[in-house]
Amino acid sequence: MIQRAFQVVARCGQQGALLRAPCILPRLNPASAFGSSTDSLVSRFCPETTDLKDYALPNASWCPDMLSLYQEYLEKTKSDGWIKLPSFKSNREHIQGLQLPSGLAVASDKDDCRIFTRCIQVEGRGYEYVIFFHPSKKKSVCLFQPGPYLEGPPGFAHGGSLAAMMDETFSKTAYLAGEGLLTLSLNIRFKNLIPVGSLAVLNVDVEKIEDQKLYISCVTQSRDEQTVYAKSSGIFLQLQLEKESSQQ
Amino acid sequence: MLRSCAKRLRALGSLRGPLPCERRPALRSFSSKKVVYKDFSIPNPSWSKDIRLLFDEFMKKCEDGSWKCFPSCKYGSIQRTQDFKMFHLDRELTKEDLRTQTRLFTSSFEEGLGFEYVIFCNDVEKRTVCLFQGGPYLEGMPGFLHGGAIATMIDTTLGVSAVIAGGTVMTANLNINFKRPIPLCSVVVINTQLDKVEGRKFFVSGNVQSADEKTLYSEATSLFIKLDPDKSLT
Repeated sequence: MIQRAFQVVARCGQQGALLRAPCILPRLNPASAFGSSTDSLVSRFCPETTDLKDYALPNASWCPDMLSLYQEYLEKTKSDGWIKLPSFKSNREHIQGLQLPSGLAVASDKDDCRIFTRCIQVEGRGYEYVIFFHPSKKKSVCLFQPGPYLEGPPGFAHGGSLAAMMDETFSKTAYLAGEGLLTLSLNIRFKNLIPVGSLAVLNVDVEKIEDQKLYISCVTQSRDEQTVYAKSSGIFLQLQLEKESSQQ
Repeated sequence: MLRSCAKRLRALGSLRGPLPCERRPALRSFSSKKVVYKDFSIPNPSWSKDIRLLFDEFMKKCEDGSWKCFPSCKYGSIQRTQDFKMFHLDRELTKEDLRTQTRLFTSSFEEGLGFEYVIFCNDVEKRTVCLFQGGPYLEGMPGFLHGGAIATMIDTTLGVSAVIAGGTVMTANLNINFKRPIPLCSVVVINTQLDKVEGRKFFVSGNVQSADEKTLYSEATSLFIKLDPDKSLT
């Protein structure tokens, strides 16, 4: 399957010459199989106790809409099967003990890396968001409040910041729903601008999983669903993370 | 769909206009005596050798006027706000204190940590090129750029092509195919061109390649819509 995926990539390249770089997609290990259950992925992803700071928690910058919708979903985590996902400073912290497949992993000496959506750490200035995930329905809801540092047109969020929020929500959902790891494509239809400081709700669904790919879609709207901000879809490649090697 | 989309776009105002920079440094002349406009998109200590070399290449191309360096601002400009107010709805759009706190998203970072980039345009060929070096605060998978950071820069560069042709425009569609992940802190070149104009619709496409043009990282297509300045909702 990986071989075929790579051939597809090769055909899609604009010129054959452009793919002189070595193959970066790892060979499928015949001994391992996809199918870490969603439950085991979730329990690894959401440690019960951790010293790591969780950024997906209310703070003084959250608008009233965001606070109240957060409370609603928090209630749903008690009885309706929803889970609140923690959000750490870097994906490295989310996958502690694991690493990218060999062949893809790059040695990195950067100790001050941050996940893009937690890059602006001043409360309320950048991305304020929290993601709730429903394992059996393979759905997510992301409450997103763009801050003034995400501005594009005066008073509104940059289109790129919404694209990043979609990609991030897709990423976490795709990983937990089926080990989707790399974004293959992103398609966004922008309808309306999101005012800075207001709440946008991203409703994400995994449509299907086929041929080592996860197909996922999203509708981003205002809380009252009267304004649709954007509709989008994405395709993710399934790849298994490996246990970390001893040299780190 | 498009008619209601355009109506909503007019309702909510413009997305982009030309971005004249408020804090414009003095124009510099080069040995050829041609004046080249420069602004915040100037090399700083965080720029790697790759991006500096490319920058110098493109600055040379600017000397005969065929290429221009597109201004990049840290803060929203007064001009942009005024253009934007032409499309105002019946409500006050931004509070004064919010204005002073805002930053253009792609310029919100300390040197070298986020988006380091410079944009060049060729009006005649309708092409825009962005030299982009993504820093450690733009990470996705460990060691690689976040798809959203790449999408932001692709959207920005496609947008410049559309702005030059159409003035005040808004992204309607953005479609990106990621071929390979981009290593963090590497330099990529985003090439975009205006493919077609149909009325107020601007079709722009582009790709992202490594500095040596040997690796194709992504391909993108997009649609931008020009907002009509003569029609306002009030």
